[in-house]
Amino acid sequence: MNAAATSGTFREARAAWPAIAFLFVFFALPVGALMLRSVTDPQWGLQNFSDLLATGTYARVLFNTFLVAAVVTLMSLLIGYPLAWLLVMLPARWQQVLLAILLMSMWTSLLARTYAWLVLLQKTGVINRILLSVGVIDAPLPLVNNLTGVVIGMTYIMLPFVVLPLRATLATLDPALMHAGAVCGASPWRLFRSVLLPLSLPGIGAAGLMVFVMSLGYYVTPALLGGTGNMMLAELIAQTVQSFLNWGLGAAAALVLLCATLALYALHMRYLDEDA
Amino acid sequence: MKMDTPLPAVRLMDLHKRYGDFAAVDGVSLDVRKGEFLTFLGSSGSGKTTTLNMIAGFDDPTSGQILLNGGAVTGLPPQKRNIGMVFQRYTLFPHMTVAENVGFPLSVRRLSKDEVNSRVLDALRLVQLDRFAGRRPSQLSGGQQQRVALARALVYEPQLLLMDEPLGALDKKLREEIQIEIRKLHHRLGVTILYVTHDQEEALRMSDRIAVFEHGRIVQVGSGEDLYHCPATAFVAGFIGNSNFLRGSVAERRSDAAIVKLGENSAVCVPVDAVGGVGSEVRIMIRPEEIKLSHALSDAAGAVIPVTVRERIFLGDTISYEVATRDGQSVLVREDRARNQGRCVGPGTDAYMHIAINQNRVYKKY
Repeated sequence: MNAAATSGTFREARAAWPAIAFLFVFFALPVGALMLRSVTDPQWGLQNFSDLLATGTYARVLFNTFLVAAVVTLMSLLIGYPLAWLLVMLPARWQQVLLAILLMSMWTSLLARTYAWLVLLQKTGVINRILLSVGVIDAPLPLVNNLTGVVIGMTYIMLPFVVLPLRATLATLDPALMHAGAVCGASPWRLFRSVLLPLSLPGIGAAGLMVFVMSLGYYVTPALLGGTGNMMLAELIAQTVQSFLNWGLGAAAALVLLCATLALYALHMRYLDEDA
Repeated sequence: MKMDTPLPAVRLMDLHKRYGDFAAVDGVSLDVRKGEFLTFLGSSGSGKTTTLNMIAGFDDPTSGQILLNGGAVTGLPPQKRNIGMVFQRYTLFPHMTVAENVGFPLSVRRLSKDEVNSRVLDALRLVQLDRFAGRRPSQLSGGQQQRVALARALVYEPQLLLMDEPLGALDKKLREEIQIEIRKLHHRLGVTILYVTHDQEEALRMSDRIAVFEHGRIVQVGSGEDLYHCPATAFVAGFIGNSNFLRGSVAERRSDAAIVKLGENSAVCVPVDAVGGVGSEVRIMIRPEEIKLSHALSDAAGAVIPVTVRERIFLGDTISYEVATRDGQSVLVREDRARNQGRCVGPGTDAYMHIAINQNRVYKKY
């Protein structure tokens, strides 16, 4: 029986070899080669990294990137959590409607959605015009071509990536727990704080990590909605490689992104282990 | 308000709950006395749990009133009703220890830490789980979890304890053990308990009074003995205890009584208002232990019906027979072994079934 189990494992492992080989040739090797260029291009050494961290503009880009990713993560969690809860609590038919809206927006072209935000947010856009005509503001708000625009657009785009994992976590919670808590005398706010929130922390962690990591390397939305003065890291990489053909600096920036992502992932896994 | 009758702990006044066209609860009125153990008994979908949920505040009645200690609570959220509840499913908070679970209702009520700790310990002692205070719910068995849930429901000394099939997920032996424990707690604490179950044995074992639910209504309220001896409807008779329903037809109606023919040549006297016109069908309920079987005709009062014994099953303290009347009705008979000694009514033999007709168990329809 033991031998059979071992050979079964071996056979399964053998079946995975083509995939592993594919990943190695087309992913691990090129990424490794690119990473290598960060210390070899134009010459051996950590010159690229010291450029990246010491030069004011580049440091500013790094700071922007992490700031935007953090704010987008926070905002999408704040908006996504109630939405996920609604998705669990609504009657089945309304759940499907809400889910369809969410998925449709996710499946629509990213470019189209980002341009739509441009239309909404610009100085003569719908939002500014409404606010002006109602009299809330005297002059149009600068909602686009700055980090505000980037945060708004990206929060919207990241929303499904928060809502779907959170919904999966919340759906596993027994509603009878909330009933039990209410009978114990807990107000809805207390129930949320003491029961619902602690029990959904794993989902919040997973969703938050996903959005933060995706936001760190996001290109299209920051490029279209952001201003020229406040670039994000993905744009910087594109620019250094495409315009300045500075592969070394681009690779260094990419390595910084990769390391940040891996570090966050390791932190998340450790937290999960402790929880279990 | 009359001075001699204390306020009922719970008063349900013409409670209705409709979901579209379906009436889940269809006019329930009931007074539950202070300190009483009252059980809602009924099959699933009979409205017992819906009624309980409305008392707890999870559901609003479509119409009607709920009074707790004389005060209307309709529309009040659950957390403001000061009720304790134990659920069918395990509802301990998985991220808290046993002690934190039991202490939750107290910390919600902003009691001091010392007070919380001492009352949690008392409550856990009550259910004999004080040794487990530091454990997580997942480290406890199902029976232990429900006992912790019971401690959590009692720790803030609520006026009323609701229990929704709390032992439904446990095996039979454990269930009986905890039944006795709950019964003892009830005697000791004097708390009013509303208990929901579909298990008639559980209802009989635990309750002061039982309310039998059918199709969203209460068909009868009374002690277990009342329901067993004088069931108001054939449904109650069939639900509580084992029962035989003998088919008969009205042969004659007099001013004081009616004659019902059972089989070919047996007849019994029944109250005239319990039956319909001459020729209409009647059901008479007889408990298996109220029937005597013998080979000889005896002159005891009541009806005598000739039967054939189909099966004899030895059950230790009792012997159970399945017999058939001449017109093919199957009847269950149970005799004490002590009473039965010496007589042997074996399968395949003919015998006489002696029955005393209880006047209160004659039904027009099943």
